[in-house]
Amino acid sequence: MLKVQEVRELIKLIDESSISDFTYETNGTKVTLKKEQGEVVTVSKSVQEQPVQQEAPQPSAKPKVEKEEPKEEPKEVPAEEPATTSTDFDHEIVSPMVGTFYASPSPDDDSYVKVGDTVDANSVVCIVEAMKLFNEIEAEVKGEIVEILVDDGELVEYGQPLFRVKNK
Amino acid sequence: MESTRKQLIDFLSNHQGYVSGQELSEQLNISRSAVWKHMNHLKKEGYQIEGITNKGYRIIEIPNQMNESSLQWNLQTKWLGQSLIYKESVRSTQLVAHDLARKDAKQGSVIVAGEQTSGRGRMRRHWDSKAGLGLWFSSILRPDNIEPKDASQLTLVAAVAIAQYLEKFPVDVKIKWPNDLFLNGKKLAGILTEMQAEQDAIQYIVLGIGMNINHTQDDLHETVKEKATSLLIETGESFNLNEVLNGLLMNIERKYELFIEEGFHEIKHEWEQLAYKMGEWIIVKTHKEWQAQLIGIHEDGALKVRDTDGQQHELYSAEILW
Repeated sequence: MLKVQEVRELIKLIDESSISDFTYETNGTKVTLKKEQGEVVTVSKSVQEQPVQQEAPQPSAKPKVEKEEPKEEPKEVPAEEPATTSTDFDHEIVSPMVGTFYASPSPDDDSYVKVGDTVDANSVVCIVEAMKLFNEIEAEVKGEIVEILVDDGELVEYGQPLFRVKNK
Repeated sequence: MESTRKQLIDFLSNHQGYVSGQELSEQLNISRSAVWKHMNHLKKEGYQIEGITNKGYRIIEIPNQMNESSLQWNLQTKWLGQSLIYKESVRSTQLVAHDLARKDAKQGSVIVAGEQTSGRGRMRRHWDSKAGLGLWFSSILRPDNIEPKDASQLTLVAAVAIAQYLEKFPVDVKIKWPNDLFLNGKKLAGILTEMQAEQDAIQYIVLGIGMNINHTQDDLHETVKEKATSLLIETGESFNLNEVLNGLLMNIERKYELFIEEGFHEIKHEWEQLAYKMGEWIIVKTHKEWQAQLIGIHEDGALKVRDTDGQQHELYSAEILW
């Protein structure tokens, strides 16, 4: 689910852009933003509860971001890989910021979690670091880690899914 | 007991001239002999207290030795460090701060250590923290109107606060993005910020700062001799750790409040003026190594560089070979 804050961010971006129609679809939620007579109209509806084949963000969203910030960091629009996996899951743990994903507290330690581990809301699942701020990410949900979507040391975007969790 | 002594120090610090034993005993609601006992204890801690018959007491000098009362002596902050814990030796002030924060320690609580046995740098890289030579402290912050994605700016805010404090000595201080303080091309201090946050709300931030102060060349570890320095090495003077901490907390509190109230914009400009290697070419290590010219920081604190093709990049997390 998109947070209100993320939707707000999207609206702001779209509002400032020349895009008139934007659709974003993620696990069970679809958000469509349309500008009519210069105004932004939000249409948000739930689609199927079960995971859907994920689509890459609408191509129209990208050129806009690149115009404003030359090269890389389309940070408000998570660059999701078109998921071809059929892993069954209920939640995605997403990155709250742009940064580097670390699976363990230090290179010498074991990963915080691995596939098959059970987590609860307060379990630390990874660290995301940006500008030397180390953010310990908690699962915020209870369940089993069914998929880890990023590699240790990989750069992640704001809102990018990191883990998939299945309710137990 | 402890709090009475703190009150006693506060009272003496905030008072011009001498305070009579009678006045102290009335203010603190303790007997004259208790006042006298506290005074003796403070002298043992290293305070120089002048006591003159018919006039009273006056603090002349605070000890160089750190302890809770000397660290809080004359501390004029509103909230930062007003709750302060001093530990002679800890593994890391970050660990202690995390524990306290999880137990609901309030905004502005500060943990200072005389020595850290396993001080943490980036990804727990070793940080040399020998007793009495430097300052190692962690502050608990609970900003409620900052989004987690913006919290990394706090590292830069703290760096500016520290740099501006150091400038008065005077030394030519530079900030190496994002968080190291450099004097003459060598590292003087580092900042480690750790956060516990949910997707859209910060629970707490632990801002850890380590600074080399009274180290001589011999005190620096062989492996860092070429890369590190101290205030003593740079200025030829030794410093009272209590006073340095006091000054740092004042500056950090002020900058933090500016950041909370006005955002990062103004601090961004100050940061850029202090930037290490501004305009110079550096090597950025992402998946490959490439040359880039440092041209400033973005509104959100990311490092702005330009590559050899003139293309501009913003870096949030990258290893830089300076």
